[in-house]
Amino acid sequence: MAVTTVLVIDDEPQIRRVVRNALGDEKTRVIEAVSGAEGIDMAAAERPDLIILDLGLADIPGVDVCREIRKWYDVPIIVLSARHADAEKVELLDAGADDYITKPFSTSELRARVRAQLRRARTTPLGPANSLIEAGAVTIDLAKPSLLRDGNVVHLTRIEWDLLRTLVKHAGRTMTHRQIFDAVWGSSSYGDAQQYLRVHIRSLRRKIEADPVRPRLIITEPGVGYRFEP
Amino acid sequence: MVIIPLSAVTRAGNRGRWPWIVWLGVLAIVTVGMLLVRNRLNEAQVALVYLLVVQGGSAREGRGLGFLLAGVAFISFDWFFLPPYGTLAVAKSVDWAVLGAFLLTSVVAAQLFERARAEADIARQRSAELERLSIEREQLGARAEHADALREASRLKDAVIASVSHDLRTPLTTIKALAADLASGGDERAMIIEEEADRLNSLVADLLDISRLNSGTASLNPEPNEAEDLIGAALQRVAGTTVGREIRVAIEEGDPLLIGRFDFPQTLRALVNLLENALKYSPPSEPVDLGVRRDGEWLAFSVSDRGQGVPAAEGERIFEPFYRKPGLPPDVGGSGLGLLIARALVEAQAGSLVYEARVGGGSIFTLRVPAIDVDVLAGQ
Repeated sequence: MAVTTVLVIDDEPQIRRVVRNALGDEKTRVIEAVSGAEGIDMAAAERPDLIILDLGLADIPGVDVCREIRKWYDVPIIVLSARHADAEKVELLDAGADDYITKPFSTSELRARVRAQLRRARTTPLGPANSLIEAGAVTIDLAKPSLLRDGNVVHLTRIEWDLLRTLVKHAGRTMTHRQIFDAVWGSSSYGDAQQYLRVHIRSLRRKIEADPVRPRLIITEPGVGYRFEP
Repeated sequence: MVIIPLSAVTRAGNRGRWPWIVWLGVLAIVTVGMLLVRNRLNEAQVALVYLLVVQGGSAREGRGLGFLLAGVAFISFDWFFLPPYGTLAVAKSVDWAVLGAFLLTSVVAAQLFERARAEADIARQRSAELERLSIEREQLGARAEHADALREASRLKDAVIASVSHDLRTPLTTIKALAADLASGGDERAMIIEEEADRLNSLVADLLDISRLNSGTASLNPEPNEAEDLIGAALQRVAGTTVGREIRVAIEEGDPLLIGRFDFPQTLRALVNLLENALKYSPPSEPVDLGVRRDGEWLAFSVSDRGQGVPAAEGERIFEPFYRKPGLPPDVGGSGLGLLIARALVEAQAGSLVYEARVGGGSIFTLRVPAIDVDVLAGQ
């Protein structure tokens, strides 16, 4: 099996060591950049399979590093943040980051997030072959489209289908409210209209989740958006 | 502003009648002096000298003495200086005119002096008042400077707390990560280290929140959100600590939809805090109830437990910093800031958080945020 390369961009040596210890093994090579500028150069030169980017860099704001790399390289980017600032997370996801982890994080959490992103990057885009999703008592066929719950057909409205399709297309990745809204309603009238997004998420959950107050498929990322967990 | 010339009222009282006697004495001396040279004086000269005395008295002591001096001078003038001497009779009719003019001039002058004096008094009062105000202003200015300095100090303190909190997270990450590595090898002590690192982290987060809320720099972004979404997120957040515990959820059905205007992450934080408290302070066998309903113009979330509740006398004290129920060991989790933060977070977005005793034992915490009415069809 090919060796996976992970690039860590962080000016804190302790954090680089934690990431190296957590991820480095015979199948994973961890390379390190100590500044944003060096990180961008190494991303171009080494073409890593995944990038872990610290937001608190001394030279370039993390969000700009993310945007810069995203311009020419489609690679999973996981952001490390010391702050619980949701606006910052939203900005990063909108800038093209795939996931974020808040410090202090556990190594098992980091490994799980990295594995999920690598897996997602390797799967082919959604086609007829994998448009069938089975989750508990629910079978979703996005191609037809149809939804079966305990063998019974459940009707979804057009907006609910658009919403579900948007989330499934980016399964495993948190989509910001803005991204979802733009995909379903078009970018025309955000703002207070986002309340409709909340209402439709609620009705969609009531149709596809076994227990809508303990959702397993559509996960809420507080202050950020929603994520479909296949 | 009304300024009462106090000195005008109290002048005579303060200084007694002595000046009046002095001025009458002056009048007598002047009269005697003029009598000695009466043959070389004409009426106009006498009138002029008397007028000087009358006006001097008016100017110094006011209208009352002016009138008195004018009256006495009038009589003396007539008696001593207008022929026939030694009587009040007047020989020439033109002398009546002289006397009349003298009296009129004296009285008018006394009157004018009085007015000028009153105005001078008012001016004095005003200037005193102005002086007082300017002193007060100076004092206020000094106090404002002091307040500015205090605010600045408080801001600095918050900046230090924020920076310290931020800088604490990096070593905490290292500690947590290394402890987790050791714990995966089965070392129980490493698990404790990891738990304590987590606890330290939540303490840091609490301190950071308090400093943000105190300095008014907490970033709250109230926007339309849905109640069931918040409940789901809260249940997910406490899932790790609720193994074997039952949380019963009651969501009011029907119209209107349960939509409120609130900051989702911060309200979640408050609600999770209430849930964690309820789980922590009630027996493991007792379920915790989590509900939401429309309550007039509010969206009311309630967390109810079957714990010991709070003694009636301590009802509001639980929202004070570092409050602990009497008799509880000091290491029962938490920073002692949770409820304080929860209430501050909710109040900062026009909501409220109240405690009430639960019928049959236990506590009910009710968290209210503004509800909004949504026309669902508009979004189709």
